[in-house]
Parts: sequence; structure tokens; C-alpha cells
Amino acid sequence: MIEQIPLINLLILVTTALFMPLIRKFDFRYTKVLGLVSFLAVFILSIISFYDVYTNGMFYYHLGGHAPFIGIEFRIDAFSSFFTLFIGFMMLLYYIYAVRYMFHEIKGKQHNRYYTIVFLLVFASFGLIYTNDLFNTYVFIEIMSITACAIISIVRKKQNYSAAFRYLVLNEIGSLSYLFGVALIYMITGYTNIELVAQALEEGYLLYPANVFIAMAFMVVGLSIKAAIFPLHIWLPDAHSTAPIPSHAILSAVVLKVNLIVLIKLLYRVFGVQILLDLHMNTVLIVLGILSMIMGSFFALAQKDIKRILAYSSVAQVGYIVLGIGFLTELGLYAGLFHIVSHGIMKSTLFLSAGMIIYHTGVRNTKKYQGFVHILPITITLMSIATLSMIGIPGTSGFISKFNLAMASLDENMGYIIIFIVLSGLLNAMYYLPMIITSILDNHESNMMHYEVDKIPKTMLIPVMVLGALILVIGFYPQSITFFIEAATDALIGGV
Amino acid sequence: MNLFNLLIDHINQIGAIALFIIGLYTVITHNHLIKRVFGINIMGTAVFLFFVSIGYVKEGVVPIYGNEEAVYVNPLPSVLILTGIVVVVSITVYALGLVVKIYEGYGTLDQVEISEKMSEAMRDD
Repeated sequence: MIEQIPLINLLILVTTALFMPLIRKFDFRYTKVLGLVSFLAVFILSIISFYDVYTNGMFYYHLGGHAPFIGIEFRIDAFSSFFTLFIGFMMLLYYIYAVRYMFHEIKGKQHNRYYTIVFLLVFASFGLIYTNDLFNTYVFIEIMSITACAIISIVRKKQNYSAAFRYLVLNEIGSLSYLFGVALIYMITGYTNIELVAQALEEGYLLYPANVFIAMAFMVVGLSIKAAIFPLHIWLPDAHSTAPIPSHAILSAVVLKVNLIVLIKLLYRVFGVQILLDLHMNTVLIVLGILSMIMGSFFALAQKDIKRILAYSSVAQVGYIVLGIGFLTELGLYAGLFHIVSHGIMKSTLFLSAGMIIYHTGVRNTKKYQGFVHILPITITLMSIATLSMIGIPGTSGFISKFNLAMASLDENMGYIIIFIVLSGLLNAMYYLPMIITSILDNHESNMMHYEVDKIPKTMLIPVMVLGALILVIGFYPQSITFFIEAATDALIGGV
Repeated sequence: MNLFNLLIDHINQIGAIALFIIGLYTVITHNHLIKRVFGINIMGTAVFLFFVSIGYVKEGVVPIYGNEEAVYVNPLPSVLILTGIVVVVSITVYALGLVVKIYEGYGTLDQVEISEKMSEAMRDD
């Protein structure tokens, strides 16, 4: 039973997606309950799966019982089970939030369509994390790119269509480059299974170094487009800022992160550290990471719209993760994986609290936040916690991320990277703090009359409060999640 | 003569790469949205051609069991590419759907004009 959990998870998600449009004739209550039950089930099953992997060790699941070199193989280890658990948890919170919020953006029967797409997206991201097969990864990536565009174009505005089209085109260039890389690897090794490929590449790299190099270039560039690493991030601001808030949170905390996880799997499992060092991939990744960190923050400085600020800030935060991966050491990978979790949590807090402000007042311009602390006290408090965490104040999860990255760079004798980390933190402060200062200190009497604020719906408030509390818990007791991340790092580095 | 033989032997791979570059060039340089969708299709075809030609064995036959003397063509790439074709078709359908909606909204299919209209709308906010 326990070894079937990955498949059961995928089946739950895909059947829920199927049932969503079928029940749209009935009351919206049923839709709510169905979605909640299936996300809860997925979350609980992921916990059980993680616990099982922790006690009994990792295992492989062969779909249909076919041998790995002809069939599809799932690898369930600490890495995949932890990240499915993480995504399951985040999606549960987003879903609770979205059920109420989406009434603000779309109407009527479109809700069921929206949740169909969301469930398919989560299905694809679970598949991407579980799968141990390069071609299967391509199929899931394509499902994810269509659904990721569709959650933007669900809002029927022309700028959404335009942003979704641009995103789709660039996504597609990325997927096809990835597939080209798979073709080149298949040409050398004759396998698509990740572990068989890795074994065959040890020898194949000596025989055909050019092929391996071109394959890696295609795949890394393809995935960099999808993960919005600096020079290839151009689609991100439009796509993310036109999306409705729950979609924005999903795009940033799930879609970007899953693409980075695929990149990590590709680099560490398929090619392996030795080949990467030989081709100087560490320098490339570190430079790209630093550029993303600095440039993303620079672009964000010029923005006034909260959603565009958050979108550019995602580019900067992806930079941290790429920097961590780029060290190609255990400490670096640990810092990267930690930041995936920590950024997911603190960014979601920011998105969802910004969403509450938009829901109640409709204001997106951060200059008009004057005196909002009197109108929406809890929201602004949570937003301040998340902001301090983004800057990296001690006592928040953002500080621990930066600390880990600094330790990793000292370990590699590249202490000067800390300058860039601090600089990026300062830039973060420059565009996040004014927003908080305006809302707390700039008391604009007329604003308080201007906005009629009803009571904040509990279903929107609770997910954000959980996330805000998690930031502080991780900040003060990083041990609470280091155990998970260490297990995931071991599974990646020690597994091959 | 040697170079000529090399070209003839790898004509499918060279063709695939040429198609890939043509597709990429179309996607990047053209402002017309439908031409961009064409570009994606050309890129997709290039990758599929490359993938399928890996599995080809000279003088191989269709891999149907029973003809034991013959050399079989590797069927796996063809099977994988069937999936790939379906994926690209669905992407094309979705992209064309978006193009229709964009045309309804903006009245043009030129990316530059659309970007101008978008930035105007942003300034008005």
C-alpha cells in the first residue's frame, strides 16, 4: 500500500481535475469541499510517504511493472517525498485562500475551470518531482507549461491573454530545447532513465565530450528560461503581474521552484558533479546567480505596482537559489534547497497579504498605502514580517537562507560573494521598506474614511497567519526544518 | 570528397539543426503572432526529426516480431515522439486560441503595436 502512494497522489489530483467541470451545475459548496478533501488527502499521504522513506529508506516504483530501461520509473527518496510534501502543504493553504479570493477576479462557472487547471498543474509538479525518467520529465514539463499559462489567461482581460501568449512562446522554446538535449543524450547512451543515463555518461563523456556539452547547454538554457534566471527572465514580470493573486503565488512558489528542482536533478543526478566541474558549470551558475540577485532587485526598484515589485523580486530570489546550486558542494546545495523552502514561505506571505489589500481596497500602487495599518492591522503586520524576512533580518527565515549561502561561499574560499549577498539584501530593503513605512508611519486621515473595510474573511486570514508564523518559527528554530533539508541533500548527493 | 560523404551520412541531423535554427529565428525576429506559432511548430518538427533519426538503422525493417533474420529499426524514439507530437499540437491549439482573443482585444496581431498599447494602458493607471 505505502509504495503505491506516489501513484495514488497523482490519481487523486487527476481525478479531482476531471470531476471539477462535472459538478459545476451543482452548488459551489460541493466544489469547495471536493478540492479541500483532495488537497488534504494528498497532503496527508505525502506525510505518510515521507515518514515511510525516513524509516524504511528510499525505493523505486515501476509503472506497470516494466523494467526501468523500457518503462517509466518513479524514485521516491527523501528529496522527492520532502518536496511533494512541501508543495502539498503550500497548495492546501493557497486553495483555502483562493476559494474566497477568486470571487474577486472571476465569476460563475469559471471557478470550476480554474480549479481543474490548478489540479492539473499540481499533478504535473508532483510528477516532475517523482519521475526518474528524462522523457517523462518532458511530458510533465509540457503539462505544466500549458497549465501555468492557463491560470494567467483565466482572467478575461486582454493584457492577460497577451502575457500568457508571450509566456507560452518562451516556455515552448525552453521545453523544445530541453527535448533536444534529451535527444542528444539518448544518442550517446541509449537510455532515458536518469540513473542508467548517469552510469552510461561516465564512459560516454570521455568518448563524446562535445555531445554531452551541447546537450547540457540546451537543457540548462531551456530550464533557465522556465526558471527565469536573469537574462532569460523577460516573460516573468508581465506574466506574473497580470495573474490573479493565488495564481501569482502558485507561479512563483510552485512553478518556478519545480523547474529549479528539475534543473537540480538534471545537474546532480544526470551529469554529476565531476562532469560539471570539468565544463566549468559552477562558474557559469554562480555568475548567473549573482547577476539575477542584483539585476532583479534593480528592476524592482523602479516599480510602483506591488505585483510588479513582487514579480521582479522573484527573479532576484531565484538568483540566490541558483547561486547555492552553483557551488556544486553539499553546503551550497543545502543552502539552495533551504532557500527554495524559505522563499516559498516568505514570498507567499507577501503575495497573500498583498492580495488581501487588493481584495479590500483595490489599491495596487504601493505609494497609496498611507495609514493602511489602521485599516488592515493584521495584514500589514504579516506583510512586515515577510518584508523583514526578505531583507534578511535575524530571527526570520530569510536570514537563515542568507547565512547558509554565506557559509557555503566561505567553504569554497569565495568570501567576496558575501558582498553581493549583502548588497542584494540592501537593495531588497530599498524597495520593500518604503512600502511598509508608508503604511505604518504615513498617517493619512482621509484614507481611513475612504475605504469601507468589512471583516476580513477567516479563510483568507488563516493561511497567511500560518505562513507568517512559519517564517518566525524557521527564523528562531531553524533546526525544525534543517533535518528535512539535510535528508533531501543527502538523497541527492549520496544517491548517485 | 570526405566532407561530402560526412554531409550525406548525417543529412538528417544537419537538416534537423537547420530547421531548429529556422524555427528559433522565426520565433525571435517576427512580430506577427501567428508566425511565432509557426516558428514553434518548425522547432518542434526539427526536434522530432532529430529524435526519430537516432533510432534509424541502415537497411533496418519495421520492428514487427517474426522476421528473425532482419535488423530492426529502434522503435523507442518513434514511440516517444508520438507523445511529443500530441503535446505540440495541443500547445498550438492553445496558442492559436490566445491569438484569437488577443486580436479581439487589441485589433492587431503585431507584437510591437500590442506592447505599445499595453504600456499606454499601464501609464493611464
